[in-house]
Amino acid sequence: MVKKCVDYVGSLLTMLACSPLTAYASEGAAAAKPIPMWLCIPFAGLLFCIAVLPLVKGEWWESHQPLAVAFWSLLFILPFGTLYGVGTALETVLECLVNDYLTFIVLLFGLFCVAGNITMEGDLAGSPRVNIILLTIGTLLSSWIGTTGASMLMVRPVIKMNAWRRNRSHILVFFIFLVSNIGGCLTPIGDPPLLMGFSRGVPFFWSLHLFPIMLFNMVVLLVIFYFIDRKRYCRDMARGRKPDISKPGTKIQIRGLHNLIFLVMIVAAVVLSGVLPDQPMFQDAAGNVRGIHIFGEVALSFPAIIEILIILVAAFLSFKTTDPVIRKKNHFTWGAIQEVGTLFIGIFITMQPALAILKGMGAGLGITEPYQMFWTTGVLSSFLDNTPTYLVFLTTAGAIGFTEGLVTTLGTVPVKVLTAISCGAVFMGANTYIGNAPNFMVKAIADENGIHMPSFFRYIGWSLMVLVPVFLLDTLIFFR
Amino acid sequence: MANEEKNLRELAGRIYDLDEEVYRELGSSLGRVFNGKKEDCIEETVRMMHERNQAYILRSELALISNMARTIPDRARKRQIMMKYDEILKEVTGLPTSFIKGDILDQKMAQLNSLNLRSRFSENDHLIICIGRTYGCGGSEIGFTLADTLKINYYDVEIFDEVLKRLEAEKTSVRDRGGYPYKKGEKDDRQYLNEMPAFAPAKKSTLKEKFQEFNRYHGLPKKDAVFFNQSDLLCDMAKKEDFVVMGRCADAILTNNRIPHISIFITAPLEQRIHRIMEVHRAENEKKARRLLMKLDKAHVKYYKYYTGRNWGKARNYDLCINSASYGIQGSVDLIMRMINKEDK
Repeated sequence: MVKKCVDYVGSLLTMLACSPLTAYASEGAAAAKPIPMWLCIPFAGLLFCIAVLPLVKGEWWESHQPLAVAFWSLLFILPFGTLYGVGTALETVLECLVNDYLTFIVLLFGLFCVAGNITMEGDLAGSPRVNIILLTIGTLLSSWIGTTGASMLMVRPVIKMNAWRRNRSHILVFFIFLVSNIGGCLTPIGDPPLLMGFSRGVPFFWSLHLFPIMLFNMVVLLVIFYFIDRKRYCRDMARGRKPDISKPGTKIQIRGLHNLIFLVMIVAAVVLSGVLPDQPMFQDAAGNVRGIHIFGEVALSFPAIIEILIILVAAFLSFKTTDPVIRKKNHFTWGAIQEVGTLFIGIFITMQPALAILKGMGAGLGITEPYQMFWTTGVLSSFLDNTPTYLVFLTTAGAIGFTEGLVTTLGTVPVKVLTAISCGAVFMGANTYIGNAPNFMVKAIADENGIHMPSFFRYIGWSLMVLVPVFLLDTLIFFR
Repeated sequence: MANEEKNLRELAGRIYDLDEEVYRELGSSLGRVFNGKKEDCIEETVRMMHERNQAYILRSELALISNMARTIPDRARKRQIMMKYDEILKEVTGLPTSFIKGDILDQKMAQLNSLNLRSRFSENDHLIICIGRTYGCGGSEIGFTLADTLKINYYDVEIFDEVLKRLEAEKTSVRDRGGYPYKKGEKDDRQYLNEMPAFAPAKKSTLKEKFQEFNRYHGLPKKDAVFFNQSDLLCDMAKKEDFVVMGRCADAILTNNRIPHISIFITAPLEQRIHRIMEVHRAENEKKARRLLMKLDKAHVKYYKYYTGRNWGKARNYDLCINSASYGIQGSVDLIMRMINKEDK
C-alpha cells in the first residue's frame, strides 16, 4: 500500500515536472493551442488575496473586494484574449458566467433568502450534546435539501443556541465539515457534482451506497467534535458563562415554517435541472440541449432558465409571505451573499485555465486506483470547483476501458472508483473555505454575528488536523 | 495607577455599550460579541488590555462589532455608530503595549478579598464565607458552628433543594454532586452520613424519561443545569444576606460574578479523616472508610475542575487553608473568627 502511494505521488510529480510550463486543453476554442501554466497566476493571486488580505488589511479588503476580483479577472482575461483572440476570451468568460456561475449564484441566493425567513425561538442551550444533535440533523438533511440548503437552514439555530458561549468558532468549523460538505453525498440533490453524475447516467439513488462511508465519517468527526466542544464548554463555564435557563422547561417555536414549501420548490428546481436536459423536448435534432443563444457557442439552456425562474419565484414568494420581523430576528443581511457572489465570480473566471489544464491532463495522469481517484479528485476539489473536477475524473475513469462496473454515458466505471471520485469531490470540498460555496456563506454569516471564525490558513489547519486523518482512515478502509 | 485603571474600565465600558447599541439597532436574536453580563465583560476586556499577548483578541473582538455595525440598514445610525467605533479603535490602538508591574498582587483576586481591601466592601455588600472541605475533616461542623457564632445563615444542601424547586425536578432523579452524602431527618441534618452517595452512577432512565429531562433541562446535562441554577441562586442570595456556604464551587462562582467573599479550604490528614468517619459511621471498617474518602476526594477534584477549571484544594485558589487536625473544630472556628473580627465586618 505504501509503495503504491509512493508510486502514485511520484507519477503525479513526474507528470507536473515534465510539463511545468504548458498543458493542453482538450476541448473548446483553446483546444488547438496549449494553455500556459502561468495563466493560473490570477487564480492563485485571488486565492492569496482571500487568504491574506482579511488578516493584514481587513477593513480595506471588506470594502475593496470587487476591485480585487476585477483586477485578477482582468489579469486573466486580457492575456488570454491576447493569446487566443478576443472572441475566444469572451466566449470562455461568458461560458463560465452563464452556464456555471449564474445557476450557482441563483441557487445560493434562493436558499439564502428562504432559509433567512425561518427562525427558531427557544431557550435550548448550546451544549456538546445539543450541538451533536444539531450537527447530526444538519448532516442528514444535507443530502435531501442540498448542502447549501441545510447549511442556510441550520446555521442560525446553531449560532443562536450557542450565543451564550464565548468559545464557539469550532462549532461552525465542524458545521462546515459535516453539514456543508460530507452530509451531501447521498443523493444528487446533496451536492452539484453528484447531479452531474446523475445527468451522465449514474442512477439517482446510487449515491445511497455511500451511506456507510458517510456514517463512518460523521461518527468519527462527531466524536472528535464532542471532545473539543466539551473542553471549550467547560472553559466557558469556568469563566462564569451561563445560558439563560431561568424558566423551567424548554419552549421551542419555529416561525416562518411555511417557507419549507419554497425550500421544496428550490430542491425540485435543482432536480429538474438534472432531469430536463435528457428529455427529448429539450433537445434539438443533434441531441444538444436547447436554449437561448448568447455568443459563439455559449447558450443559456431552457432547463437552466426553468431552474432559475423557479428559484427566483420561490425567493420572491418567501419574502412576500414572511413577516419582516423574522428577518430582523435572524439578523438577515445581504452581506454574506454579496461577499460570496463577488468572490466566486472571480474564482469562477480565474480558475478556467486551471480547469482546462486539468481536463487536458486528466487522462494522462495514469490514475486508475480508487485511492488515487479519491485523493486527486479531493485535493483538486478543495481549491477548484468540485463539479468540473468530478466530471474530469469521471470522464477519465470512463475512458480507461473498464469492463465491469456501472454503465454511464461516459463509459463503464467500477463502483469502487465511482465511490472514490464522488467521496473525494464531496468530502474534500470541506478542506478550504473556497472548496464549496456554503463554506464561505457559513463563515460570512458567523462573522456577522459576533463569532470569530478562523482565518483562511487557520481553517486549513483545522482541516489538516481533523479532516485529513479521517480521510486517511477512509482510504485504508474503503478505497484500498 | 488608579486613574489609569479607571480609564481602562471606562474604555471597556464604552466597548460593551457599543456592542449593545449595535445589537439593539439590528434587532437580531442570534447573539452578540459580548454576550455575558456587563460587569463580566468589562472585567474580561480590562484583563485583555492589561495582558500584552491578549491585545490582538481585543482588536479582533472590536472587528466583529464593526462587522455587525456595517450591516445596520439605517445609514445615519450606521455612520454615527461607526464614528464611535473609530474613536474607540483609535484609543485601543493607542494603549500601552504592557502594563506589567512588579507587584505579585493579583488585582482581580485582591479586589474580592475582604482581608486585603476593606474599602471594596460597601455598606450593601454582605459577608459571604465560602468553605470548601474534604469529607471527614469536620469542615461541615466548622462551617455550621461559624455560621452559628456569626448569627448568619448556613447553606449547603438547602441550595440544592431550592434548585430542585426551580427546576421542578424530583429529588430522587437528581444527585447533589456539589455536596456530600447526607441523611435527612437525623437529629442534625448537617451530620453527614454515608447513606446517599452523591457521586454514585445515575440510574438508567427510559427514552421517554430522557426526552423529558432533555426538555426540562434545556438540552443541558442534568448536572450542568443544576450547577447553572446553583450559580444563579448563589448570586441572588449574595445580594440579600450574609451567609456561610459549603462547597458547590461557590468561591469560583462568586469570583466570576465579582461578589466579595472569603474563600476557605479545610482539610486534614487522611488518617485523621479515616479515624473520624469511623467514629461517625460506626459500621465502617478502616478499609471501607479509606476507599470512601479516596472516592469522594477524586470525585470532588473532578467536579471542581469541570466547573471551575481550577484544582480543588490548591492553596493558590483560596484566601485561607486550614488543617483542621491542628486546630480542632472549635479552634478552626476561632481562627476564622479572629480573621473576620480584624475586619470589623
